[in-house]
Amino acid sequence: MSTPAPPMSRTVQRGLFSHYGARLGLPAGILATLIAGTLVSDRFLTVQNLTNVLINMSIIGIIVVGMTFVFVTRGLADLSVPATVAVGGLLVLGLESSIGTLPAAIVGILAAAIAGAINGWLIGYAGLNPVITTLASGTIVLGIAQVFVGGVIVYGDNPEAQAFLTGRVFGVVPVIVLIFLAVVVMGHLLLSRSMLGRWSYAVGSNPSATGASAVPVKRVRAMAFLMTGTLAGLSGVLLGITLQTARPGIGTGYEFDAITAVVVGGVSLLGGSGTVLYAFGGLLFVQLLTNIMVLLGVPTEPQGLVKGALIVGAVAIDVALRRRGGRE
Amino acid sequence: MTTASALRMTGISKSFPGIRALSDVDLDVNGGEVHAIVGENGAGKSTLMKILAGVHQPEAGTIELAGETVQLANPIEARRRGIGMVYQELNLVPDLTVAENILLGSTPARLGIIDRRALRAQARAVLDELDARIDTDDLVGSLTVSQQQIVEIAKVYAARPAIVVLDEPTSSLSEHETQSLFRIIRRMTDAGLAVIYISHRLREVLDISHRVTVLRDGRLVETRPTEGISAGEMIRLMVGRDLTDVFPKREVPIGDVVLSVTGLSRTDEFTDVSLTVRSGEILGLAGLVGAGRTEVARAIFGLDKLDAGTVQINGAEVSIRNPRDAVRAGIAYVPEDRKRDGIVPQLSIKDNISLAVLDRVSLSGWVKPGAERALALEKAIELTVSPPAIGPRVDTLSGGNQQKVVFAKWLAAAPRVLILDEPTRGVDVGAKADIHTIIGNLAAQGTAIIMISSELPEVLAVSDRIIVLHEGRVNAELPRGTSEQDVMHAATGEVSS
Repeated sequence: MSTPAPPMSRTVQRGLFSHYGARLGLPAGILATLIAGTLVSDRFLTVQNLTNVLINMSIIGIIVVGMTFVFVTRGLADLSVPATVAVGGLLVLGLESSIGTLPAAIVGILAAAIAGAINGWLIGYAGLNPVITTLASGTIVLGIAQVFVGGVIVYGDNPEAQAFLTGRVFGVVPVIVLIFLAVVVMGHLLLSRSMLGRWSYAVGSNPSATGASAVPVKRVRAMAFLMTGTLAGLSGVLLGITLQTARPGIGTGYEFDAITAVVVGGVSLLGGSGTVLYAFGGLLFVQLLTNIMVLLGVPTEPQGLVKGALIVGAVAIDVALRRRGGRE
Repeated sequence: MTTASALRMTGISKSFPGIRALSDVDLDVNGGEVHAIVGENGAGKSTLMKILAGVHQPEAGTIELAGETVQLANPIEARRRGIGMVYQELNLVPDLTVAENILLGSTPARLGIIDRRALRAQARAVLDELDARIDTDDLVGSLTVSQQQIVEIAKVYAARPAIVVLDEPTSSLSEHETQSLFRIIRRMTDAGLAVIYISHRLREVLDISHRVTVLRDGRLVETRPTEGISAGEMIRLMVGRDLTDVFPKREVPIGDVVLSVTGLSRTDEFTDVSLTVRSGEILGLAGLVGAGRTEVARAIFGLDKLDAGTVQINGAEVSIRNPRDAVRAGIAYVPEDRKRDGIVPQLSIKDNISLAVLDRVSLSGWVKPGAERALALEKAIELTVSPPAIGPRVDTLSGGNQQKVVFAKWLAAAPRVLILDEPTRGVDVGAKADIHTIIGNLAAQGTAIIMISSELPEVLAVSDRIIVLHEGRVNAELPRGTSEQDVMHAATGEVSS
C-alpha cells in the first residue's frame, strides 16, 4: 500500500527544526564559547590553557559518566559523590605508605564501590528515594572517613605517582586526561551498545513495562549507583594523588558540578534519554565557560550564578521539549 | 425530545506535523440528543473533540454554540461556554471526598473557609439530579472505577454545561455498570443537554445514541439516525470496506496440555483457581471487571506473588517469582494496560521488540546490532506494523500499532504459552482483525493461548473453551458454541453448567 508522501508543510519543517535544534544546540554552544574565548582573551586558545581545561575536567568528568547512568535510569541524582570522592582520596594517601600506591588506590576505589553498592541496594532493591538515600549515605560515609583520618589533612608520600598522572604522553596529553577519556569511551559504549545500557534507557522511560518485559529492573537501578560510587572513588584516588593532600571535604561541590554537566548535556532528569557523549559535551561547555570567566577575572560568586542559571535553563528546555514531543 | 441545535461545527480542518488530522468536517448536535461519533483510531474523533474543548485551534471552519459563532481559544473559554469534557483518564483527586471533587474549583466558602454543609448539600443535589447513589463523604480513592467515573461526570455536570462529551466512558466498565452509566446519560438528555458519545463499542452506540456521525481518515463519512443501522453497516462505514469477520477463527488441531495451574490463590484477589491450556488451544477467560481475570494472569506471569498454587509447563513444575522466570519457562503476557505495562515510550520500535529477549541477540552482554535489527524487522513485518520502519520511537505510532509492537515483542520470545489480556482494547476495527489473524497463526503454530476480554462477542468467537471467573473463583467451564447468556449467567454468579 503506497500513499504519496505529503508535501513538506511549514509545520513539518518546524518539527524538524525543534528535533535537530535539540541535538545541535550543544555543539553550537561549545563552538560559540571557543570563538568567544578566543576573541576576549589571547591566553584562551593556547595549548597550555586548553590542556589545563582538560586536566580540570578529568576528575569531575569521570563522575559525570556515572551520573549519566543515574539520570538515564531515572535515579534522580547521587548526592553521596563528595563522600565517595573523599573516601578514594583519603584511603589512597593514608594507605600508600604501608601497602604501596597501587594497592592503596584499589582499596580506595573498592571502598567507594561498596558505598555505591549499598546505595544501589537501598535504592534499587529496597525502593528508597535516591535523593534522601544518597544524602544520608553520603553523610554516614563522610563521617566514617573523618573518623578514619581523625579529621585532619592526609599527605601523600609518593611524588612519582603524582608525576606519572600529570606527566605527558607524547609530550602533550597528561595521563590523567587519558584515563578520563578512556572512562568516557567505555561509559559511552556501555550505555549505547550493551544490554545494561539498553535496559537503563528502558527502566528510565517506563519501569513498569520494562519489568513486565523480563528485565531485571532492580539490578539495573542499583548498577547506576554502583557505577557512580566506583567512578567517584577512582576520581578521588586520582585527585588525591595529583594534589598529594586530601581532607574529608575534598569532594565538596563535585556532585553539583557533575549534575550541572549532565543536565546541560541534555540528559533528562526524568530518565530514558541522553548520552554519555552529550554529558561530556555539557561538561566541556561549562568548563570552557568557567575558564573564560577565570581568564577575564570574574569573581567566584557570579560564576556560581551562571552555573545555576545554566541548570535551570537546561531543565526548562528538557521539560518544554518533552511536552511538545510524542503524541498527546 | 431533541430540541434546537446546541452545537454546529462546520468545515473544520486541522493539521499536525506530517498529518492532516481533519479535513472539512461538519458536526451538528441538538439539545437533548445523544450523538455518537465513531471511527477507527486516527479517524479524527479525538482531534475534533479537542478542538471543541479549546485544546486545539482549527485551521479552518466555524463553531456555533446555540446559534452563536464562537472562538474557543483555550479550555477555560470552552468550559465557560458550556462545554463539559469527560475524558477516558479521570481527573479526580483521590484523597478528597466525593463532594470536594464534584465542586472542585467552585467550592462554597465563607470568608475563605469551606462551608462543609453547603458543599455536601450542593454535591448531593447534583448527584440526585443524575440519580447517582454515591455518598458525598466517601474518599474518591476508595470508590470503584465506575463510581469514580460517575463522580467525574457529576463534576462536569455541576458546572451546568450545555454539551457534555464522553470519551470512551465504558472502556473499563462491566455490562451492568454500563447500564447505570446509560441511565445517567438519559437523565442528562432529559434535562435538555446535548451529549456527544465516543466509543469503540458499537453495540453501546446502537443502544444509547439517537444519531451517529462516522469519521474516516479525518473526513466526515456520514451522519444519520442510529435507528435502522446495523453494527455491520457501521463497521463498513468506518473502515470503508466490508469486514466479513472481525474475529476470524482459524481451525487448528489441539495438542497436549502445555500449561496447567492448580489451586492458585492470592489474598483478596482469587481463590483456588485451576486451569489447563493445550497447545493450539485458545482458552477464553471471562468474567466481570473485578472477577480476578487480570489478577490470575499477572500472577501466572510472575508480576504478582502467589499465596498458594502450582504452575506446570509440559508436566514439569516451574517456580515463577518474576517475569524473568516466566519468560524462561516459555510464558509471555500481553498486558491489559498497554501504556503502563506494554510499551517503553522513549525507545524505538526495534528496541521495544527486542527488549524481552535482548540476551538472545547479544554476546556476553553486548548487543549485536545486526542480529537485533534482523529479529525486530522480521517480527515487525510478520505483524504488519505500519509504517514498516523500526527506527521511530514507539510512541509515534497509533494505539493499534503500539499493540502490534507489544505482540511482536512477545513473538520474538517464541513463547509456549501466551496470555493475552484485553488484546484489542482501544484498538480500531482494522487492527482488531489483524491481531486476531496473528492470534490464529500463533495457535496454528502450537502456542497455547489464554485470552481475557471484556468483549463477550470476541471471547465467544475466538475461544475453544471458556472459563468464567466470579469473585475470584472458577464458576464455570463452558465449551465452544456457548451463548452469550450462559457466560453472563456464570459471570454474575449463577452456576450454569
